[in-house]
Amino acid sequence: MLRHLLTLIWNRKRANFLLLTEIFFAFIVLFVIGSLLIYNQVNYRLPRGFEYENSWEMTLNPAGQAREQQHTALLQVVQRLRTLPGVVDVARHSSNTPFSFSNMNTIFPHNGKDTPLTEIYEVDDHAANVLGLQLVEGRWFDRRDDAVGSAKPVVVTKDFRDAVFPGGKAVGELMVRDKDKLRIIGVTTTYRPANDYADGSPGMFMRTTDLDSVNYGLPVLLVRVQPGSDATLQERVSREIATITGGWKTDIQPLPEKRIRKLKTVLVPVIGLSLVGLFLILNVALGLFGVLWVNISQRRAEIGLRRAMGATGSAISWQFLTEMLLLTTLGVVLGGLVAVQFPLLGVLGVPSVTYLLGMGAAAVLIYLITALCAFQPSRQAAGIHPAVALREE
Amino acid sequence: MENILTQTTARPQATAPAPVTSAQPVIQLREIEKIYQTKTIETVALNRVNLTINKGEFVSIMGPSGCGKSTLLSIMGLLDEPSGGVIELDGRPVQAYSDRELAALRNQKIGFVFQSYHLINDLSVLDNVELPLLYRPGVGGKQRRERAYAALDKVGLSARTGHFPSQLSGGQRQRVAIARALAGRPEIILADEPTGNLDSVMGEEIMELLLNLNRQEGTTIVMVTHDEQQARRTQRLIRFFDGSQVS
Ligand SMILES: Nc1ncnc2c1ncn2[C@@H]1O[C@H](COP(=O)(O)OP(=O)(O)OP(=O)(O)O)[C@@H](O)[C@H]1O
Ligand SMILES: [Mg+2]
Repeated sequence: MLRHLLTLIWNRKRANFLLLTEIFFAFIVLFVIGSLLIYNQVNYRLPRGFEYENSWEMTLNPAGQAREQQHTALLQVVQRLRTLPGVVDVARHSSNTPFSFSNMNTIFPHNGKDTPLTEIYEVDDHAANVLGLQLVEGRWFDRRDDAVGSAKPVVVTKDFRDAVFPGGKAVGELMVRDKDKLRIIGVTTTYRPANDYADGSPGMFMRTTDLDSVNYGLPVLLVRVQPGSDATLQERVSREIATITGGWKTDIQPLPEKRIRKLKTVLVPVIGLSLVGLFLILNVALGLFGVLWVNISQRRAEIGLRRAMGATGSAISWQFLTEMLLLTTLGVVLGGLVAVQFPLLGVLGVPSVTYLLGMGAAAVLIYLITALCAFQPSRQAAGIHPAVALREE
Repeated sequence: MENILTQTTARPQATAPAPVTSAQPVIQLREIEKIYQTKTIETVALNRVNLTINKGEFVSIMGPSGCGKSTLLSIMGLLDEPSGGVIELDGRPVQAYSDRELAALRNQKIGFVFQSYHLINDLSVLDNVELPLLYRPGVGGKQRRERAYAALDKVGLSARTGHFPSQLSGGQRQRVAIARALAGRPEIILADEPTGNLDSVMGEEIMELLLNLNRQEGTTIVMVTHDEQQARRTQRLIRFFDGSQVS
């Protein structure tokens, strides 16, 4: 019977072409959206690598003060805030704080190969405490690093280590970036500060000391406060800063609020794309349904004849369902040949597993959709009476 | 259209003096009525037909166009249901058969040759002829192929097995339709003008084929024909007029 149906599908190739194209494109669309959703979901389940619940990002605005005075004032602010009741710790941080829209990244050669795109975080010795960073290897910056050596100390993230030193340890390794010699002194866990759905992309922490003034932009501080702190503490901090500096403005943004704001901007395109995808799928489903419906009404004579030749009603509906599923398989295989290029070529750096899961999900959904769409027309076909063979031609 | 069975007291039976003792009815029609209802008119295609076909008989049916021959044949072939009356197959009323049993009967017991061939255009001649065997359990692909080839050989079409119906002449299509009925090796063949589109030589060959099938294999055959000479060569001739049997 299977061979009979394959012959029939082949002989009807022109009529089946439309259906096949539709299944093919539906598969591709489902694959792309499925991979995206799976990718996001997999990332979401990864540990974040830092704590944000009781922290603020604080941007200071010196409003026209001279550079040299700015630096001493900033150091004074940091000193003062660290002793303020209600504040746990304060750290200096470059503008690419968690959940921010700011990036600072680089690629540099190492051992004759380029590193992956790496985010550079310029932070001081207190950052590990403020962010609750965990180290899997080595140590964080401390006074020992004050001793002037030939190489700058850096702490890299686990994802950097896995990409640049696959399967090995990284502490003690030397690298050269521009003219700087870098020595890895520690490795953190996966660090995903961008948003909840970001992947564990490679990162590198560079040490900022009291000797380093802010290179560009406004000074940014990360402040960790006691749990349960409220707006009164924010006011107090702002006032304190204004007093010390003689009028600096302070913009305080609690990280939990920043997180929500960032999440929205990340989710909007995903939701948008999913809606477009859903709409497309609905279209495809309706199309399939329509094509099948027409198909069956055009083949009434054939169905009647098969009934007259002794096919039972259920044999007829099985025939149509099987025909559909065979066609679907063909479409899925063709779509799969295209989809499999994504993991093979390593498109967008998404792990192959994600793409394979995406293909699986797309295939399952496509089979489900075609089975659902074919169900009613097939039932209809089963109800066609053998006498129809006598009348239609 | 009520149908009162008890009214038929005397049933004028078959014309030929069939030996009653050995006669074993395979198909029995009692008071069969078929009414086609359309919006404007009601056509009585069959009007209280009583007919018995015995095992091993070769019966021909003649009558003017539109008198209900095809309708009668399709009811005998379990393709259509009568509006009234009872059909018995092997002594059992058809209503008593389940849908599945009816399908099995159509498949195994009856070979139907349609007046207008009814081949599947998307299938080759060979695949078309294999069709009834496809729905028969226990017949493998190889056996199907062999039987289909044999049937096509009998109708002189073994050179056309790979063709599609659209590539055949009307007479060739008719022969494919006959081969399809033969391939299933049914006990009963119901043929609606099987030689209607054939020239006299080919028509004669098909007629010989049917006669041989009847004589050698004991196949019961009911054939609708417009050819008086062919009809005379069968054991029994039934004449129809306006939905009723007239002789
Ligand atoms: N589906 C239908 N709907 C309405 N009327 C029908 C239908 N099928 C057949 N008829 C009518 O029933 C009558 C008998 O038709 P049938 O096809 O049995 O005739 P026939 O004896 O086979 O004729 P022919 O020798 O031309 O094949 C005709 O008057 C025809 O118009
Ligand atoms: Mg007719």
